Amino acid sequence: MKTGKIPQQVVVLSLISLVVIVSFFTMRFILTPKSFGKYGHYRADAIDDVKNLPISYAGAKACGDCHDEIVKLKSKGFHRGVSCEVCHGPSAGHTEDPTSIKPEAPRQREGCPLCHNYSPSRPTGFPQIITAQHNPGKPCMTCHRPHNPVPPVTPKDCSACHRSISAQKMVSRHAPLECTTCHSVPKEHFKNPRFVRVEKPTTNEFCGKCHSSDAKAQANLPPIPRIDVEKHAGRYLCWDCHYPHSPEAK
Amino acid sequence: MEPAIQQVVAALEPFTGYIYPNEYYLQWELLIVLYPYLTGLVAGAFILASLERVFHVKALLPVYRLALLSALAFLIAAPLPLMSHLGHPERAWEMLVTPHTTSAMAMFGFVYAWYLLVVLLLEIWFDYRVDIIKLSNEKTGFMKLVYKVLTLGTTDVSPEAVKFDDKVGKFITVVGIPSAFMLHGYVGFIFGSIKANPWWSSVLMPVVFLFSAIVSGMAMVMLIYMVTSWVRWKTIDMACVNKLAEFLIYVMLVDFTLEFLDFIHRLYESEESIQILSQLITDRLFISLILLQVLMGGLVPLVGLLVARFGKFPDEMRKMFYFVCGVLIQVGIFSMRWNVVIGGQMFSKSLRGLTVYKVHLLGLEGLLMAIVLLVLPLVVLAVLLKLLPPWLAEKQEQKTA
Repeated sequence: MKTGKIPQQVVVLSLISLVVIVSFFTMRFILTPKSFGKYGHYRADAIDDVKNLPISYAGAKACGDCHDEIVKLKSKGFHRGVSCEVCHGPSAGHTEDPTSIKPEAPRQREGCPLCHNYSPSRPTGFPQIITAQHNPGKPCMTCHRPHNPVPPVTPKDCSACHRSISAQKMVSRHAPLECTTCHSVPKEHFKNPRFVRVEKPTTNEFCGKCHSSDAKAQANLPPIPRIDVEKHAGRYLCWDCHYPHSPEAK
Repeated sequence: MEPAIQQVVAALEPFTGYIYPNEYYLQWELLIVLYPYLTGLVAGAFILASLERVFHVKALLPVYRLALLSALAFLIAAPLPLMSHLGHPERAWEMLVTPHTTSAMAMFGFVYAWYLLVVLLLEIWFDYRVDIIKLSNEKTGFMKLVYKVLTLGTTDVSPEAVKFDDKVGKFITVVGIPSAFMLHGYVGFIFGSIKANPWWSSVLMPVVFLFSAIVSGMAMVMLIYMVTSWVRWKTIDMACVNKLAEFLIYVMLVDFTLEFLDFIHRLYESEESIQILSQLITDRLFISLILLQVLMGGLVPLVGLLVARFGKFPDEMRKMFYFVCGVLIQVGIFSMRWNVVIGGQMFSKSLRGLTVYKVHLLGLEGLLMAIVLLVLPLVVLAVLLKLLPPWLAEKQEQKTA
């Protein structure tokens, strides 16, 4: 196979490279969809493919045409931003044939925890439960109306919203203290927590009520660390160093 | 404490601070740790081979072919973790057919193809060509056919042809060195260019990845050389392993310095991420970074190699030292990949919280899959060693002697 002065290896490898390159470009030519690159770096026909897909969702507006009372009720509640089909599933078929095609109506516990199960990444104040502990086995609808959900009773304790703080406090030295020992809570806070805030202590003397050396100890509490408030803190505030919901000092 | 409260506390425990919803689970898991580890071994093994071929370090001749075959075996297995992670392996070709020129990942497909087809396969073919022709004449039956195919139709074993093979082989190695640098530098580049992630975003990343790759590849070839020698009941060439240990020491020093430089630089720069990163190191990555990567996989083998290489020990003792250090280096480099890939996803982009990662046992991204993908290149290597024994030259030398 030696061709003149060209070494055999070069001839063979050149031929193989040629075959590889030619077959790559042939493959590329055959396999690249014809409409690729027409609008951008994708197959233009994909747009038509997507357009031709059957429509599954009717959209919340369509629901209001018949179920106006429920839509009206929902529009005032906390679920106003949640579209009907989020819970009831895609219902385009139902709008076309309302009698024989019925949308889903989840009545058990499977749907609600998708949004309301406890997750550390959800914002504080968003209603969250630990599904396994929150009335296990009971359908959510027993106490909550999905079209106008409100907590069945106004939360009695702060942990209903401030779960993270409450859990921390629960295992801390301050566990025996009520939240109201340090915070005064206006009634309006329960209804409108973001606008009407609770009050927090502002001076070191407040902590000193229990922790200063001359404070009166309470008999039912474990020994309280005592300090001379003025000398100990100087120009700092107590909570510059100690986190009141989980104080570290013993 | 009430049981209900105990459960709440337990549920809160793994997470600290604030994390965004999409940071709850890690998107890049164990297999993405495996991928840079495997490509690192390829680059390292190839650089080792080039030391003999280009830089004429004759002491490394016994591991030259072994290093090339190891590089090939690991390169064949390297994309598999990615495919398993992404799913739909049948779509991988689309990246080559309609590549997006602004995507580093798409362009890497070509670097990979270049490195596999033009660098490694060609170099191995040129190096083995005469042996393959001889084997195709000696063997019978099916194996004869296999070797015949591998000759690609060449029959010329004249001294000029052999000289030509050698020349081309050397040229390919010279081209191969920057290719190997690209191959692994790219992996660091991908992480280093993610500017939203302060743990990854660093220009030093490709360089650090490259040097750690050389460390792991060299150590891996040393281990493979020792094990194959033991299995074949051959004595280990001490001059070769001593030289390997020396190179390992040098490269480890550079690698360690670079990583330290990166660390100091971050500390000195003290960007707003520094607090969460220090929490990450002291809390989530303490075992894998401080203990495994720096101490057990870095300082201990470095000191071990120094002591073994320059201390007065019998050869048997020295070999054991080298072997243990080689294994520790693998642990260290694997931990380094872990700390980069997993560590970078453990803190929130809010810089205010840390999440957790637990390895799954089963599934496409689980521990078992990772073990299979780690063992697979060794199986491929065993087949390659059977097909193209690197010790053919050794035998011929013995015969001529």
